[in-house]
Amino acid sequence: MRLHLGGHLSWYDPQKRSWLELPLSQPVALIELVRQLELPVEEIAISAVNGHAVSLEEVRVSDGDRVELYPPIGGGGGLCHRAVRHKSNP
Amino acid sequence: MTFGSTGKILRVDLTHGSVGIEEFDEELYRLYPGGKALAAYLVLRNIAPGSDPLGPANVLVLANGLLTGAPLSTATRFTAAARSPLTGGYGESEAGGFWGPELKLAGFEAIVILGRAEQPAYLWVHDGHAEIREAWHLWGREPEEAQSLIRQELGDKLVRVLQIGAGGENMVRYAALINDLRHFNGRTGMGAVMGSKNLKAVAVRGTGRYVDLAHDPQMITEFGRQLAKRVKEHPQSWDLQVKGTPGLVSGLNAGGILPTRNFHQGAFEGADKLGWEAYEKELLIARRSCYACAVRCKREVAVNDRYQVSSAYGGPEYEAIGGFGPNCGIDDLQAVAKANELCGRYTLDTISTSASIAFAMECFEHRLIGLKATGGIELRFGNAEAMLKMVDMIAYRQGLGNLLAEGVRRAADVIGGEARDFAMHVKGEELAMHDPRGKAGVGLGYAIAETGADHLVAYHDTMLQNPASITFKGAVPLGITEALPARELSGKKAAQYALLESWSSLGKVIGFCYFGPAPRSFIQVDEVVSAVKAATGWDVTVEELVRVGERATNLARVFNIREGFSRKDDMLPDRLFTPLENGALAGTALSRDEFEQTMTELYRIKGWDPTTGAPTVERLRALGIEWAAGMLGSH
Repeated sequence: MRLHLGGHLSWYDPQKRSWLELPLSQPVALIELVRQLELPVEEIAISAVNGHAVSLEEVRVSDGDRVELYPPIGGGGGLCHRAVRHKSNP
Repeated sequence: MTFGSTGKILRVDLTHGSVGIEEFDEELYRLYPGGKALAAYLVLRNIAPGSDPLGPANVLVLANGLLTGAPLSTATRFTAAARSPLTGGYGESEAGGFWGPELKLAGFEAIVILGRAEQPAYLWVHDGHAEIREAWHLWGREPEEAQSLIRQELGDKLVRVLQIGAGGENMVRYAALINDLRHFNGRTGMGAVMGSKNLKAVAVRGTGRYVDLAHDPQMITEFGRQLAKRVKEHPQSWDLQVKGTPGLVSGLNAGGILPTRNFHQGAFEGADKLGWEAYEKELLIARRSCYACAVRCKREVAVNDRYQVSSAYGGPEYEAIGGFGPNCGIDDLQAVAKANELCGRYTLDTISTSASIAFAMECFEHRLIGLKATGGIELRFGNAEAMLKMVDMIAYRQGLGNLLAEGVRRAADVIGGEARDFAMHVKGEELAMHDPRGKAGVGLGYAIAETGADHLVAYHDTMLQNPASITFKGAVPLGITEALPARELSGKKAAQYALLESWSSLGKVIGFCYFGPAPRSFIQVDEVVSAVKAATGWDVTVEELVRVGERATNLARVFNIREGFSRKDDMLPDRLFTPLENGALAGTALSRDEFEQTMTELYRIKGWDPTTGAPTVERLRALGIEWAAGMLGSH
């Protein structure tokens, strides 16, 4: 999968990357991935998978997905609940 | 003994061709220490009620921030203020760059420009002196050429030039001022005011040293070194340097609040083509800075491809990308860069220019204006060539451009019918590229700001949603205790907004860029207080400084009330109360009831009458400006 670190989230990557290529052998919870990469959860305001806003806490991602994370400055807020509804009622 | 200030204001009367110097005392200095506060005070004191914004009775004030000129990153800004030809109310806009610091080193805190020159003139200010010079040879010339001629004439390549191009000369109601060819006082038409005075430029050169003015120069110097070192160590300032404001495009798009097609939508299918990575690949040639600022968020661009874009005028910031890109339905970054360059060349505000074109595109698509009016141009969303042609026509007031040069409010009144629904403005000022349907506090700011729909009137509430975030923690010393969802409208949100507004206002008083102090960036609240103490020797607290910011806002509010504004002018366009058509917030709208209730609470918190919107005498007294109550008339 491809992971985009938007805004200042890139700063937390040791190599200061904006895009990370992460091969996944099986689907994984996005929140787990974020923890493994030692990204600060409190700085993530928006999560999107393949262009759709999702809940960081609830979504699982697979190889081939395009995942985007953004801090609060660049985006809006309070997206998670609606995004969950959107996923279950496409 | 006064520290941190030269204590001098230059007073220029263009009608009589005279210049004079006024001194102000410590008491005045502490009440109105610079920038927005000093400008609002001088505007209110010097402009007679009912003065024509484009007539000789209007007064243009240029006022440095309290710390402008100090060797501190992001403390570079000065305020331009006058009665706005766009709104008819208090007009104001800040710019960074090098001009403000140069004015300080030339010995002045502010310039008050009165009257109207009989023929084109420019002002030359240098080390405590000033003279009005003839400018026939400069009028009509583009800023790059005019700056070069002025420097040649004065025999000094280091002269800093603040000036207008065609937009200002032709009094486009949202014309900007430009300094060093790449820093703008963009909003509310200060360039049109300068043009109306037949004033082409203000050239400045100073050889003074800031440290000779400061109470504790050693602290200022050491703090400046610390900030310069911190830029790369702090995620937010690092982000501004590496990605800059173009980095906002993709996040706003993912969040569903990237204004698209005149605010119909919040997500744009071409956003990937307009982000900072595309910017680096297609446009960027260098990162640039303002005076003494280590952040280096400014961009230099050049293109020699589908469009020819000169490197002279600096690269587009987020607002220009959002405005000429998604909001006009355009996904060609080179065309956006060209539009931005033209706005530099003509000294036009990129926000109001792009918003006027987006408005006209919607009118064209709804057949409210036709090919006859556009001169044969298919002015549809997505047509980059048409967009660029309109920028030219606005600057030179040709055809439809002459109408759009008046701003969307006046243009909609002339076109009539549905056009009024397409005019996205508050008090006549076009909306910046931020959608309140995703951050409600920005809507409160758009509605209540004295200047109109300005995005820098307060820090955005997206920053204060998570109590563990850097941005929230940065705001705690202001007295902000509770994290609130960005889309919430409530009494708590009103209270939070009021604090964020006064703190943002203080930044404009001090001369800090919006990207300097917390919560937006890397300078902590207590450090701002310490820097003011070191500059002035005052024993100030954060509470006193927040009050300074509030005082400045109240002076501007009094100006508007005096000119006939009231709560009815603090309204958002109807479109923001209708649902977004696509993106992560599709179906989301502001609730009109919640919005009005929150506004009522906000007036109460601010000490303003909830019916008229006028500050109460009690609040003005508490802020030490009871004298201003005499200007409220019958309110």
